Amino acid sequence: MASKNGIDRRDEDEVCPVCKSSRYLNPNMRFLINPECYHKMCESCVDRIFSSGPASCPVAGCRKTLRKNRFRQQTFEDIGVEREVDIRRRVMHILNRREEEFDSKRAYDDFLEQREEIIANLVCRIDVAKTEAQLQAYAQENMQSIKANQALEEQEATSFQKKILLEQEETRMRQQIAREEYESERREQQATREDFLTRLASGSAADAAAIAREGHKVHLKKSSARRSEEDRIRQKQAALRGTEVKRTGTPLTTADTAGSTPGAGFIKGLRKIKTPEPEKPYDPFMGLVPGKRDYYTQLESYPYAFLDKLRSDLTVQAGGYDLQEYYSRTLLEAFAGLGCFVQEEVAKRDAISALGISKPASTEGAAMAAVGKNAA
Amino acid sequence: MIEDDIYRTSSQFRLWSYTESSLKSLRTKTNHIASERVRAALRRARERHASSTPSATGTPQTGSDVEEKDIECLTPEEELVLVRYYCEKTVELGETYRPPLPTNVRVSLPTTGFTQRLEPFFLRGQPKLTSITYQATAIQYLRRFYLTNSPMTYHPKSIMACALFLATKTDNYYMSLRQFAEGIPGDTTADDVIAPEFLLMQGLRFTFDVRHPFRSLEGGVMELSAIAQGQAKPAPHLPHHTPESLKQGLLSIAPPPVPSTSITDRIGRAHGATRELLKSAAQMTDAYFLYTPSQIWLAALLLADRPLAEFYLDTKLGGPIDPTAMETEPSNLQNPLYDLRTKLLQVLTDCGALLQSYTPLSSDPDQMKILKRIAKKLYHCQNPEKVNLKRDSAVPRSTPAIDAGAVTSESETERLAKKRKLEMEQKQRGAHDMFGPELVLDRTRH
Repeated sequence: MASKNGIDRRDEDEVCPVCKSSRYLNPNMRFLINPECYHKMCESCVDRIFSSGPASCPVAGCRKTLRKNRFRQQTFEDIGVEREVDIRRRVMHILNRREEEFDSKRAYDDFLEQREEIIANLVCRIDVAKTEAQLQAYAQENMQSIKANQALEEQEATSFQKKILLEQEETRMRQQIAREEYESERREQQATREDFLTRLASGSAADAAAIAREGHKVHLKKSSARRSEEDRIRQKQAALRGTEVKRTGTPLTTADTAGSTPGAGFIKGLRKIKTPEPEKPYDPFMGLVPGKRDYYTQLESYPYAFLDKLRSDLTVQAGGYDLQEYYSRTLLEAFAGLGCFVQEEVAKRDAISALGISKPASTEGAAMAAVGKNAA
Repeated sequence: MIEDDIYRTSSQFRLWSYTESSLKSLRTKTNHIASERVRAALRRARERHASSTPSATGTPQTGSDVEEKDIECLTPEEELVLVRYYCEKTVELGETYRPPLPTNVRVSLPTTGFTQRLEPFFLRGQPKLTSITYQATAIQYLRRFYLTNSPMTYHPKSIMACALFLATKTDNYYMSLRQFAEGIPGDTTADDVIAPEFLLMQGLRFTFDVRHPFRSLEGGVMELSAIAQGQAKPAPHLPHHTPESLKQGLLSIAPPPVPSTSITDRIGRAHGATRELLKSAAQMTDAYFLYTPSQIWLAALLLADRPLAEFYLDTKLGGPIDPTAMETEPSNLQNPLYDLRTKLLQVLTDCGALLQSYTPLSSDPDQMKILKRIAKKLYHCQNPEKVNLKRDSAVPRSTPAIDAGAVTSESETERLAKKRKLEMEQKQRGAHDMFGPELVLDRTRH
């Protein structure tokens, strides 16, 4: 349809709409376009007009401001196609959701349709301002997921490339091996046949039948090259099946870094992405505060006459004796068990243990017997 | 309350806390089993006597009158009185010790490693620092031991010294056995002291930790004096208090029964009186079995200085509920700890009544008369097979030492005895070998 050759094949009398110079005078003339307005002009015009910074398009009636760096060569002959491809590339770049991100196949299809509609709108210039605004808003909201998906795509592309290369290499190797094998087989067959003939020629009539049988056996041997080819096909099929299973089994492992789904308003049916809760720091006390007390709050120091003596006593201090230890211990003992009501709690405990003991009555019986024996 | 949970892990709560009824039934059971054994033992002794004497001396029927009527054993109540008397004797023994024992061993200071060894050293000059926990520990050992053993089986006189000696060890006051035995009045030898040691430990179910209310009292008094100085912090559940409001509250409580010059003086007096109560009444009654140490000391403080103790409790558990405000807000909004408070006050009242009911035996001639009668009775119903404890203790006991108590402990002792016997045999088999016994059991060789 269109290619670089296409440009070369163009008419000799092609004329630049800006400077009116024709290819006839300047065979090396190249035409450039700017995706801003898609007006065609020759390279020398671009150099002349835009090398000193952005300027408006020289085509009459077009007041678009163009920059030199955006000028490029046309890919397609038809400017309309060129424009559509540009628009499509841009939109696809932004709306790059993947199938795994959707709840269902249906939702994904809806998304694809929506995307096509946007592209069509932009191409046909219907509601351009509104559509552009939507696109911009979406791009800003989903910056992260867009980037992530782009990275994924790139990754996929490179891995696909690698795979293709690998496969080509494998094919080449296989062909070579097959060729070699075929060659050797052919040589072998030839040798066998020669051998066969010489033996027939030299041997007696009685041996002829046995020699012929042997020759059949050789033919029955299947070529290993053919066998390996079959193996390869089988493996490939199995691998295909495996990837299919994997795809259905673990649909979404990547691309869920986007956090919540801000694009949910614009694109429907996106799968709710669950970000795993960040792991809490490990708590060795299982929620228990080590120094927590319910009955008292410990002070730094207590005014207590005999403790003052200790505080200043070197013999006590030398051992590393800490009065804080004393405070915490005495205060803990002062209140430990204040709310333990022995009468109630022990009664309850006894009731429970009585239930537990009533089962192994045999041990009790044995013990009683032992006591009785002892007494007797 | 986390402090209560900490206390619930102690062996005192797990193994040595009883309800009044279970305590009583346990004592009755112990007494019953012990009486049975005593009767059986006496009968056996008489039979042995009868089988040996007729052939030798030919005086057949002299003892038969005694034999015919059943031996009169002690009742559980009599046993209890007897044990209490010997508890008092334990205190006496500790106090009249020659060379004089410091009346305390476990100081109320915390102990960690190195400082533990320092303690007796810096305690000697400061008798005020000390409490009588070591005698108290010995008393509690005796009381615990006689829950599952009867004085008819083991006479308290033989157990008493051992309990005191064991308490010096568990309460971290080291004293050599020889030194200890020398201090005991009378002709008690070191062997006599140590003979029932294993028996005693078994009776204690190998739990040596006794939680006393003495250090608790120190903590409470310490905090009270901090309040008096206006330095105290409010309790975690009652954050509306301030140090100043606490101090004002303390200064405005009702005057004590005995007028005092200052609030510090008042706290000091209450402290002393409470400690006296804890030293005597708390030890000689069943308070340790029925209540927790913190309840005991608060009950004692209530007896010593009621307004002070009530004020202190209010700082911890909130004040009484204003009945006029009852309509506007329910009780748990006014004071979230109100339920605990009412329950605790009831328990403290009960405990206080128990402490007050105590009168020293030796000061009461009627009681002494009863005691003499019991002692005489005990002389007749003493289990003759358990008199010589020295012989029994030579070999680790293989017979069940505990009269009653947990049923499991009986089978447990049997199992242990069997195991020990096996080990002994093993040892003897290898004793002749120069390089000791086989490392691997020679089960494989047979």
